[in-house]
Order: sequence, then C-alpha cells, then structure tokens
Amino acid sequence: MSRVVTWRALLALAALAALPAVPGLPRYYLLLAFDSLLFGAIAMSLDLLIGYTGLVSFGHAAFYGLGAYATAILMERGVLSLWACLGSSVLVVGAYALVVSYFATPRRGIYFALLTLIFAEVVYTFFRYTQTFGGSDGIQGLPDAELWRGVPIDTPERKYYLGLAYLALAYATCRVVVTSHFGRVLVAIRENEDRARFLGYSVHRYKMAVCLLSALLTGLAGAIYPIRSAFATPDLMVWTESGEFIISVMIGGLGTLVGPILGGVFFTILRDKVSSYVDWYFIVIGVVLIVIVLFMPKGLLGFRRLLGFKQWRATA
Amino acid sequence: MDYLVAVLLPQLLHGLVFGAALGLLALGLTVIFGLLGVMNFAHGELYMLGAYAGITVIGWTHSFWVALVAAPLIVGVLGAITEAATLRPLYRREPLYGLILTFGLALVFREGVRQIYGGDMRRILPPFTGSTPILGMTYPDYRLFLLAASSALLLAIWLFFTRTRAGIIVRAAVQDAEMLDGLGVDVRRVFTLTFAGSAALAALAGLLLAPVFTVYPQMGVEMILLAFIVVILGGMGSMGGSVVAALVIGLAQSLFSLWMNPQRVAIAIFGIMIVVLIVRPRGFFGREGVLE
Repeated sequence: MSRVVTWRALLALAALAALPAVPGLPRYYLLLAFDSLLFGAIAMSLDLLIGYTGLVSFGHAAFYGLGAYATAILMERGVLSLWACLGSSVLVVGAYALVVSYFATPRRGIYFALLTLIFAEVVYTFFRYTQTFGGSDGIQGLPDAELWRGVPIDTPERKYYLGLAYLALAYATCRVVVTSHFGRVLVAIRENEDRARFLGYSVHRYKMAVCLLSALLTGLAGAIYPIRSAFATPDLMVWTESGEFIISVMIGGLGTLVGPILGGVFFTILRDKVSSYVDWYFIVIGVVLIVIVLFMPKGLLGFRRLLGFKQWRATA
Repeated sequence: MDYLVAVLLPQLLHGLVFGAALGLLALGLTVIFGLLGVMNFAHGELYMLGAYAGITVIGWTHSFWVALVAAPLIVGVLGAITEAATLRPLYRREPLYGLILTFGLALVFREGVRQIYGGDMRRILPPFTGSTPILGMTYPDYRLFLLAASSALLLAIWLFFTRTRAGIIVRAAVQDAEMLDGLGVDVRRVFTLTFAGSAALAALAGLLLAPVFTVYPQMGVEMILLAFIVVILGGMGSMGGSVVAALVIGLAQSLFSLWMNPQRVAIAIFGIMIVVLIVRPRGFFGREGVLE
C-alpha cells in the first residue's frame, strides 16, 4: 500500500460506510453522524493551516458560510443539481479566499488570526443585514438536491453517504498534500519561515496556496451542509463558529489530520448529547476545552500516547 | 450652523463618551496582552459580568454608587482566581493555548450568566436623569458624567503607571518579566494582580455603559471585537495608543452612523482595520515587530 492509501484508512472508511446497516439504528443518528463527519472534515482542513503551516485562521466560518449560501441561493432559485451547487461554491469561496489569503498570509501569528477574523466579520455582517438573502433568518425550507436528474438526495442514508464521500475525498487530498514536497515546505515554514525563504522558497505563494486549499475544502463542506439541513443562516459564519473549528483541531491534536477529524466528531457529539440533557451545555464545552488546554495540550491523539498506545504517526 | 449644533455636536459628544468607555476596556486588554502575550477572549465577558454584578448589587442596596464600587471588586476577585487557576500554568506555552483557554472561559462565563439571570435584555436606570444645556444644545447629565468618570479613570491609570512604584513594576514586567523576576520581584503575583485589575476595569466599563446600552449575556461578544480592533489600531501593548485608538473608533462610529445604516458602519470600521493591518500592522504607536 502506498503512504497515502493505508489499510487503516480503508478499514475506517469501510466501517463508516457500514454504519447505516447497523440494525435498529435511529435515522436521526445518521444525520448526527453526517454533522460529525462534516465538522471533522472542516477541522482537518483547518489543521493544514494551524498544525502544518503554523497559521491560526480565525475566519474559517466565512468560507463555510459562503459555501452554504452559494448552494442555498442556487437551490432557492430552483437549481437542484449537486454539481452546480458545488461548482458555484468553489467559485465564490475561491474568489473570496484569494483576496483574504493574498492580504493575510504575509502576516504571522496574531495578525494573521485577526485579519482573517475581521474579513470573516465583514462577510457575516453583509449576510446578516442583507434582506435579499433573508437577513438574520437566512434561507430556509430548501428542497432536496439531486445527484443527477431524477436521483434526489432525500433520505438520511443518501445524505450520510454524501457526507462520507466528501470526507474521504478531503482526507485523501490532505494526506497527499502533507506527504508531498509541498507539505514538507509547509512544515519548514512553520518551523522557521525566514530559513525557508533563504532556501529560495516563495513563502508567500506557499502560504497562499495552502490557505486557498484549506478554504476550498471548508467551502465544499459548507456547500453540502444545506443539502442535509435545508437551510443556510448567518449563524454559520459568526466568529464564534470559527472558534469552534479551532477547538476541534485542538481537541484532536495539531498536525495529525486524523486527530482533528476525531476532535470534530467528539465536539459535535458532545454538543448534541449534552444539549439534549441540560441547557447549560456551553458550560460543559467550555470546561472540556479548559481541561484539554491545561492537561492534555496534545489533544486526543496525544492522550492516546500517554495511555500507552503505540505512537501515532508524527507530524508529516 | 443649525445642522452643526443639532446633529453634528451631539454625535461628536456621543462618540467621545463611547470612545472613553471603550478606552477603559481596551486598556485592560492591551496590558494583559503585553504582560502575558495572551489575547484575552474572555475580556468581553468580564465587561458583561460587571454589568450583571451591578444589577445584583443594585438589587440589594438600591444604590448605583455602591454598585459602581462593589461590582469591579467582585469581578476583580473573580479575575484573580481565574488567572491563578487557569492561565498561570500556561505562561511558558505558545500563545495559541492562552487564546483557546480564554475562549473556553468566555463560554463558561456567558452561559453561567444566562443560567443565573436569564437571557432577556435588562436595563440599569441611570442614577440621575436631567440634562444640561451645553454649547447651545442640551445633553443628558448621565452621559456627561460618563465622559468625566472615564476621563478621570484614564488619567488615574496614567498616573498609576508613571508615578507609582507598583505601576512601574507592571511596566517592567511588560518589558521583560524574566529580568524582573531575577531582580527579586514576585512576578506571578504581579501577573495575577494585573489580571485582576484589568478585569475590574472591564467590569467598570460594563457597569458605566449599562445605563446607556442594554444588558444581556451576549453583550461582551460584540464589544470584544471592537476592543480588539482598538488594541491593534493603537499598537499591540501600547497603552497610550489604545486610548487614542478608542477615541478614534468611538468618533468614527458615531460620525459614520450619521450617513450610513448600522451594517455599513460596521463594515466601514472593519475596513479601516483591514487597511491598517495591511499597511501598518503595528498600529499607531506599536513597537515594530511585536509578534509580527
């Protein structure tokens, strides 16, 4: 097996693909699984930036929300083809990400974080107050999208497989990227940006490229979200949402790709389960976050190692 | 001339009042940033806690003035406990961890308040209601008091940092905490007390602004972004810069809102910020290369 397609990854994919076959599983859990995998995939694409390149983006919610709106606006006007929706999301998110990454990537650290945050807030404010796109209510009550003519993505099973297919593609893309020469340069930039520059790499271009890639993957996740939920609201891109993406990356473990997926799944399930028992679940999430930062800064995968498991594959 | 007196002047005063209060908030943020290298995401929640602590104290004592003293003290103590329990173990780690930690703290504070007080909008009545003729217009007394109180506090803080031994120690810690430690100062205590002070300042700003705005659990989320913008605009870790930038943002916001709807105002403020970050990331008065 190649370094990209490992037995372990295939096994995990097969297990996930078998999930709808579990007898007696309420259909609701398939939608929860969809949300978890989607959140995991977003955290993973953010990990390309935070974990591998050392850039903390606080504006990923805007990529996510823009992708969702690109789909929702098309579907609201009767364009139900999945491929048209994905294509328009790529165009919209790509154009926006090009601008953001061009201006934000020359900056490091907190300046990069705040630039992405403020760009995202501009997008949020625009959609929040533009009545054409539903203002604060967003776009609600969308019809089912179609894979192609006559094949609607209507049942929870079909929606789940759509999410799973996206995750598999996104994971393969990320894995290819981080094992490639390109990925090595990203790690070099994270470790010492000046030295990478002295070695002749165009650091700005590398950072822009990875920023674009991460944004597009997140935008695609946004594009399929309204297909499952039938709505897109500005809440998808408020800045605290970006914070939750970062939280998922941290929970899972920086620079591991698999970790952030687990982190996203953990976070989504935690939010869903705790909120169905108590209405103060944000306190639980906040405390979990504090505990993780204080006691297991390497995240779930780092914790695994503490427990005596074989060391997980190190960064890149 | 009528336009000047009836529209422009009140708006300018509004901006000045808001800017001064914003300065109190941003000042605490910038000192903590300089000291701990942490962008404190929970600062907006400390601001919010100040207003709610005020509501409770006013409920007990029926006095705004008692609350104005008690609420910052309560929040200051809470800040000291929080710092010692959660931020202290993170001093030597990457700033990212502090960012995430304070994000978690913000969630806990916000939800805690919503559980205790409910999510409704609350109001605090101003302690006096009259208005005074000034410069050919009448202006509410409370806002004038707000401007005077914020200015006096800013002056007091400036005197503290330039004229007292404690203030000089804090500034030294911002410059080089390790060296200060070597000189025999208990740096950890300095950190904790400074954090408590910054929390108390945020609480004071929250309570002072409460009669002008409304009080609700999310109120900090909107203010903190503005405070971040102020801190960056003024230059990370530059206290004077923060105050100047707070006044600039306060004035810009109230002047813009003469000609634009709130959405465009927000976008214009963000636009200013983006341009500053791109052209001059160290802000008005920041040192070059701080965390760049």
